[in-house]
Amino acid sequence: MLTLVVGAAASGKSACAESLVLRSSVWPRVYIATMEPLDSECRARIQRHRTMRADSGFETVECYTGLSAVKVPYGCAALLECMGNLCANELYSPHGSGDGAEEAVLRGIDRLLPQCRELVIVSNEVFSGGSRFEGDTIRYLRLLASINRELAARADQVWEIVCGLPVCHKGGAGDAF
Amino acid sequence: MIFITGPLFSGKRAFARMLLDCGEESFAARAVWDVQDLAAGCEDLEALAEALSEKDAVIATEIGGGVVPMDPAERSAREAAGRLSCLLAQRAETVVRVFCGIPAVLKGTLP
Repeated sequence: MLTLVVGAAASGKSACAESLVLRSSVWPRVYIATMEPLDSECRARIQRHRTMRADSGFETVECYTGLSAVKVPYGCAALLECMGNLCANELYSPHGSGDGAEEAVLRGIDRLLPQCRELVIVSNEVFSGGSRFEGDTIRYLRLLASINRELAARADQVWEIVCGLPVCHKGGAGDAF
Repeated sequence: MIFITGPLFSGKRAFARMLLDCGEESFAARAVWDVQDLAAGCEDLEALAEALSEKDAVIATEIGGGVVPMDPAERSAREAAGRLSCLLAQRAETVVRVFCGIPAVLKGTLP
């Protein structure tokens, strides 16, 4: 099953996504981490998330680019966090696929999905703060929005997290959380 | 009139085209989009909303969700866009918000 969890900065989307994995009772649990520890701010953020899931028994797999190369134990519950980072890395990292970013990410999802019994993907809502952007910004926004739409179309469940509260856009049962 | 809103690149226009079920040319005549850009500097938002309501579908991108812009012109443009959306939603029989390509009806029912 594929679940997409989308929310704004600090909306509580990570905690909601993690609780979806925990409630599924599927083992093993794999956390696919996409944030590269480039500076102290990134490292602090990574540490905060590591602490958050310290007791949940996740095994961490790092993937900054090239999702299609990721191998997880067959039948696991995987939590990929977050698509906003993965897209930025694919676009701008020297190891990324640049103009082929969308294809690379979607191919990665297509490879990952059959390996997982549960796949929860965390993505970012960054699209309500204006419409007049240029250059690298609009390029990034187009990519992430397109990926979000593609994921939402494939997903069994789509949740938007608002102030820590889940709003269901697709397929959610009342007892999902 | 059906008013369609939602974040940038969320699939609003694709949804409207599906709803109106018409070709490119006919769609351009029956629908209007990016109306948030028409609000900036508009003297009479009520009249603008009234005129736009003649269309079968009116589409606006949500742009008020970021921090308050430093630039006064951007600030007032953003205000006007938000107010225009409220006026359009009042006049619409149906209001839909499209999120990641998924429509949610906020008012009325889909035709």
